[in-house]
Amino acid sequence: MTKPIKPSAKNPLKIALIEDQPKARDNWCRLINSFPDLSCICACKSGEEALRTIPEVPPDVILMDIFLPRMSGIECTAQLKAMLPQTPIIILTAMDDEELIFMALEAGADGYLLKRTKPADLRAALLEVLDGGAPMSSEIARRVITSFRTKAKTRDKSLHLSTREEQILLLLTKGCSNKMIADRLDLSVVTISHHLKHVFEKMHVSCRTEAAIRYMSLHNPQD
Amino acid sequence: MKNRTHQILPTGEGLAEERPGPRRSAFLVLVLWVIALTAQGQSNENQVPLENAHANASVVENNPLNLKTNLQDSLTERGSYNFSDMGSWIWGAKTMDRQTCRFWKSFEIPEGAKVARARLRITGDNEYTLFLDGRELGRDAEWRHLYEYDITALLSPGQHILAVEDYNSFKEAGMILGLQIGLADGRKVSVKSDPSWVVGCDGVPGWENVRDWQKMSEPPPSWPPGTIIAACGSGPWAVSPWFIEIVPPLNCNVIPFWQTGWFQITVLAVLVMLALVTLWVLTQLALRTKEQRLLQRERARIARDIHDDLGMRMTQLVLQGEVAVSEVPAQSGLHSQLSQICEDARGALRAMDEVLWAINPRRDNLREFTTYVCRYAQTFLKDASIQCTLDVEPEMSSAAFNLPLRRNLLMAVKEALHNAAKHSHASELSLRIRCQGQALHVVVQDNGRGFEPGLASPDRNGLTNMSQRMNELGGRCLIKSQPGQGCSVEMFMPLVNSRRNLLRPNWFRKFSALMTRKSNQPPLAVSQETPILHDQANQTLRQEPVEDRAD
Repeated sequence: MTKPIKPSAKNPLKIALIEDQPKARDNWCRLINSFPDLSCICACKSGEEALRTIPEVPPDVILMDIFLPRMSGIECTAQLKAMLPQTPIIILTAMDDEELIFMALEAGADGYLLKRTKPADLRAALLEVLDGGAPMSSEIARRVITSFRTKAKTRDKSLHLSTREEQILLLLTKGCSNKMIADRLDLSVVTISHHLKHVFEKMHVSCRTEAAIRYMSLHNPQD
Repeated sequence: MKNRTHQILPTGEGLAEERPGPRRSAFLVLVLWVIALTAQGQSNENQVPLENAHANASVVENNPLNLKTNLQDSLTERGSYNFSDMGSWIWGAKTMDRQTCRFWKSFEIPEGAKVARARLRITGDNEYTLFLDGRELGRDAEWRHLYEYDITALLSPGQHILAVEDYNSFKEAGMILGLQIGLADGRKVSVKSDPSWVVGCDGVPGWENVRDWQKMSEPPPSWPPGTIIAACGSGPWAVSPWFIEIVPPLNCNVIPFWQTGWFQITVLAVLVMLALVTLWVLTQLALRTKEQRLLQRERARIARDIHDDLGMRMTQLVLQGEVAVSEVPAQSGLHSQLSQICEDARGALRAMDEVLWAINPRRDNLREFTTYVCRYAQTFLKDASIQCTLDVEPEMSSAAFNLPLRRNLLMAVKEALHNAAKHSHASELSLRIRCQGQALHVVVQDNGRGFEPGLASPDRNGLTNMSQRMNELGGRCLIKSQPGQGCSVEMFMPLVNSRRNLLRPNWFRKFSALMTRKSNQPPLAVSQETPILHDQANQTLRQEPVEDRAD
């Protein structure tokens, strides 16, 4: 993520997919490949397989289904993030469940997508994540603030939210878009995205070990 | 029977002359000792109907024998100790050692008469127990002591039963009794021990087994009349009593109401009823709790089923549709048709999400409600190109907020959002959700063109619906608007009584709403009440008068 990726037909964006349903896996692949600048280079049917194969063919982005048999998507995210800290992971979920999504974000995911997202939006969201701008809903922002506040006492200072970051998150909880925040704080949209990326990184670092332990036995978080 | 050496003295006169001096003092000592013993025995004995310690004290006071050194003086002083009103010594047909004899006699106080004085004297050889109408009056075990009972208070007009149980240790046996009743009109009733009494003793078949013989109104069957053993002052008992024990006047045994049978039965019945009711309520509660738990589990299961199965299939459908769209040339009619199918399937998924949200018991709290409403508003207004700002408490309480409430409130909020998107032409809308005390306060405010509430067209049912919904939940809905100044919809829902409100009948809700409005006006109800739309019976949409709009 250090170098900006500009996917093109010649040099398409390499995507790895983890999805347990064979039909769905096939459809996702076909859908991704239908875009000239996207290419599905690896489709895994389980978290275990993903941990074995993905590090060998490092992709640019990983799409991860949240419900996987045995090892859950969240646990797999935590482990993959430890192996490939630079590769963004996007969680695919059928339902807008903030609790699950927040757990995934804590575990190291960089964003999430609803499975029913329109293909055009899917592409846009992928590129946005690559640019560092993980879209964050007001509810997720609220949970992020709460999570940092509860951890503020025990963690070292470098992992605390900066004033600016907290300011941005607070505006997000009020339903402001990145553009509105930029207007209000007199910053550029890119800066806002960078701040948010930073927030995610801090969150991942502070949560990674915990998350790995916490989600080790989590197979079906819906229960 | 021992020591029958005294001279016969049929009346009390001349008692003292017969006695030599030294023996007299010894006799007095004995008398005092016996009195002390008797008094003690009486006070210790529950069955003897002395009222209390105070009554005991009056024994001494009433009994000059205790104080006087001269027995003769005391007897003459009383002046009433002639024994002519005593009966004869009576007993059963046969006298035996260690024999119990029961005596029964009924007498009548004339109707309408008032008893002025009733005095009963009794003694028995060797022990007697005296009953009047089944109630024990007293007992003693020394035939030389004559007992005098004042039973004036116990006698009322009508039939009364005297009963005596006597026990003979050995040799001679007998019971002697005399009852003098003076009526207020001067008449006298007299009962003496004589053959008119019936006697139950050995030789009478089944005499021991007569139950409640002390209070039987008819003489116990087959008991023979008593046999006179000797007249008063003759026979083996030819001696004056050593002393006469005057028992303080006996009072009617007024049983306190809490000791009466019917009261105790009533209390017991009430307690049993209470216990049963409590048990029933507890069972119902337990059942209801169990039902609730079952319901929650069932809801969770349905939610999971819908999510895992239906949701999965629908998502697949959308995905497959999108693949098909991507493989069909964009210009063809099939492409747009397929796109439309995908769009519809997404719509169905969104609808399913909402159903899932409603069903899932995990969402039965305020925080989840707030999250959902905010997300809904953001997604919905994004499509309508209205900027949505949220003002929500950062730490929304996770208090329970059950399905009917949250669903109805969500519907009302949706209605407000739809109205704004459809009619307001607003560019910004703010959604505020606050938990104020025990009430939830939701405000939807837009900066659109507003409307004149009085002139709102009757086909805008949305406003009515919102108010109706809020009324059903026991809450209120207040719509403020003015042309060119946007519109604000304030919804106010009590959280504590919300459940009760749902159960209350409609008239009660209206009445209580009326009362609370009169007594303490909440900030939302400042406005005067004017129906904006149709004059429906339950229409309570309120309009803020123009001049009241200070903000």
